[in-house]
Amino acid sequence: MSNAFRAAAALGLTLSLTAVAQADGDAARGQARFQDCAACHKLEAGSNDVGPSLHGIFGRKAGTLSDFRYSPAMKRSGISWTPETLDKFITEPQAMVPANRMPYAGMASPSDRADLIAYLEKMSK
Amino acid sequence: MTTKLKEVDVVIVGLGWTGGILAKELAESGLKVVALERGTPRTSENDYSLPNIRDELRDVVRHDLMQNTARDTLTGRNTPSQEALPMRRLGSFLPGEVVGGSGVHWSGHTWRWTDMEFKIRSNYEERYGKKFIPDDMTIQDWGITYAELEPYYDKFEYTAAVSGKAGNINGKIQPGGNPFEAPRAREYPLPPLTPILSSEMFSDAARNAGYHPFPRPSANASQPYTNPDGSKFGACQYCGYCQRFGCEANAKGSPHMTVIPSAMRNPNFELRTHSWVTKVIKDNDGKRVTGVTYTNVLNGEEFEQPAAMVLLCAYAINNVHLMLLSGIGTPYDPVAQKGVIGKNYCYQTGAGATLFFAGKYFNPFMSAGGSNATIDDFNINWEFDRGPHNFVGAYNVNGGFNTALPIGYRPVPRGTPQWGSEWKRATAKWYQTAMTIGASGSVMANRYNCYDLDPTYRNAFGQPLMRMTFDYKANEHRMGTHAAQVINDIAKSMNPTQLNPATARTDPWTVVPYQSTHNTGGTIMGTNRGDSALNKYLQSWDCHNLFVVGANVFPHNASYNPTGPVGALAYWTADAIKNRYVKNPGPLVAA
Repeated sequence: MSNAFRAAAALGLTLSLTAVAQADGDAARGQARFQDCAACHKLEAGSNDVGPSLHGIFGRKAGTLSDFRYSPAMKRSGISWTPETLDKFITEPQAMVPANRMPYAGMASPSDRADLIAYLEKMSK
Repeated sequence: MTTKLKEVDVVIVGLGWTGGILAKELAESGLKVVALERGTPRTSENDYSLPNIRDELRDVVRHDLMQNTARDTLTGRNTPSQEALPMRRLGSFLPGEVVGGSGVHWSGHTWRWTDMEFKIRSNYEERYGKKFIPDDMTIQDWGITYAELEPYYDKFEYTAAVSGKAGNINGKIQPGGNPFEAPRAREYPLPPLTPILSSEMFSDAARNAGYHPFPRPSANASQPYTNPDGSKFGACQYCGYCQRFGCEANAKGSPHMTVIPSAMRNPNFELRTHSWVTKVIKDNDGKRVTGVTYTNVLNGEEFEQPAAMVLLCAYAINNVHLMLLSGIGTPYDPVAQKGVIGKNYCYQTGAGATLFFAGKYFNPFMSAGGSNATIDDFNINWEFDRGPHNFVGAYNVNGGFNTALPIGYRPVPRGTPQWGSEWKRATAKWYQTAMTIGASGSVMANRYNCYDLDPTYRNAFGQPLMRMTFDYKANEHRMGTHAAQVINDIAKSMNPTQLNPATARTDPWTVVPYQSTHNTGGTIMGTNRGDSALNKYLQSWDCHNLFVVGANVFPHNASYNPTGPVGALAYWTADAIKNRYVKNPGPLVAA
């Protein structure tokens, strides 16, 4: 097996695992995971705190709420928030958007992230 | 011209931990509360997030969160025979001056002081006899017990998100905790922080020497946490910027993100910032106070705020200053040993060693207020016999990092030049590979260590500056010598490549360098009006509707950081006011 093929296979595996994990995400469990975020993020529209409001996050372009002061890194990131991009971001925020200003080291467990994202999908509408 | 405002139930002077706790509790009980804070409003979202944080130049070198000495400062001297001179730049201690006070820039160390302090004179006289206590050592019992304060310690720890490991729950010793601590009703709200390498190495060495290391309890949330009031904490990120900084992760228990926003949501509460209280007004008969006068420091306007109750909740030094400026209680005279206001000013002492380990990488930039380990074998361990060492008091020993900042933290072996290319080489070589072991020691009250009003120097409002007379006495020198020996024995057992050994602090106290923002005493609590300013509920013996809250009520200083009992006593006083004083205003203890 060539290295390129191996890498592609690994990537495919990761993507499919992510998809499975998200499908299995449990919003009720995700509420407990949201404790990690709640000191800085609110779910109500227009309610910015240390971090921006997460209301309507899915489908939003990163760094675009007009009344929140984002880091230049986040404004430049070009990310569009989907369950997949958010999953990647909260795995290790500084890896995906270096020099963003969220003081959070990351959530290592894929199932925890899936639960959190399921919760956010439900509560951010 | 002074504008007289409408009377309120309670006016609070200073909005840090104590003012915030009392504001929240009393507003919730239905009282109309106004807080006057001389500093600016600050919030985590606007002020303690990037790019305003982790700025050592702004916060450590330029004291952004601290009292401005161009407006008000102290004069200092070592003995009553000297002329005191004004401290024109902060150094030895750093009073905070923003909404949240020193509770914004503290490290988070939260201790429970025990009956070893509250019954200090009785304890030492009983065990060692009256003669063991030097004649000029004016220590006295506090008039309160640990059992009375336990529920209030608990309340403060759960409010501030203290991470730690209990050592004694209801009398049962708990593995991994501090075996010498007084019994607590339950575990800490959060488990200890993750230990760092230097703290683990210290713990191993201390254990091998027969001591009892445990993780230092600290209001740095080890996990996300919601406190009983609904305030939300993020998990500590170990960024190392606790002491002297606001926390960017909302992980450090601070009044500006807990009790103060709770009070602000209550319509009974109003905060006025930039409001500098110059005087507490006494009634004609001297038995009550009627309110305060204050100046808006932005425009110079003067106001009188009448109130049924006045609570002094400013920094410990400023509470005492305000009592002296307002002529409440009899000023203390160290020569005649008469009077009480200004009596028993105390500080803390210490000793420290730096250990250098070639080839070890400590990553000192990763730490938190509570990432150290501590031993209390020479502190609240009453089995430790002070007799042969001839000192009253105690010290705790810590190993590991707390705040090791890029400008200020430059450990080099003794003998290294203090500047130039050799210093540069040494600082690059040793930055990663050094760790410290330090002791924090008590300072006993002494008749000559005190506050009064300076006869010469005045502040921006034309009022006399506070004058501080202080020095370490022979008792503290003897204790420091003992502490240095213990530190050096532990350090040597760890076989460092090089060691800067600890030495006792025996030079006279000066206002530089930074030593500790643990200034205590001046309006002390006690059992009778002859030798204390306040009763056990922190109520003035002279004016029953005046309460003075903070470390200024401590009759002496222990080795522990003061915020635990400061927070607990604020809750204790809030209960006394809500449950007893409001129903029947008058002295809560018969004079």
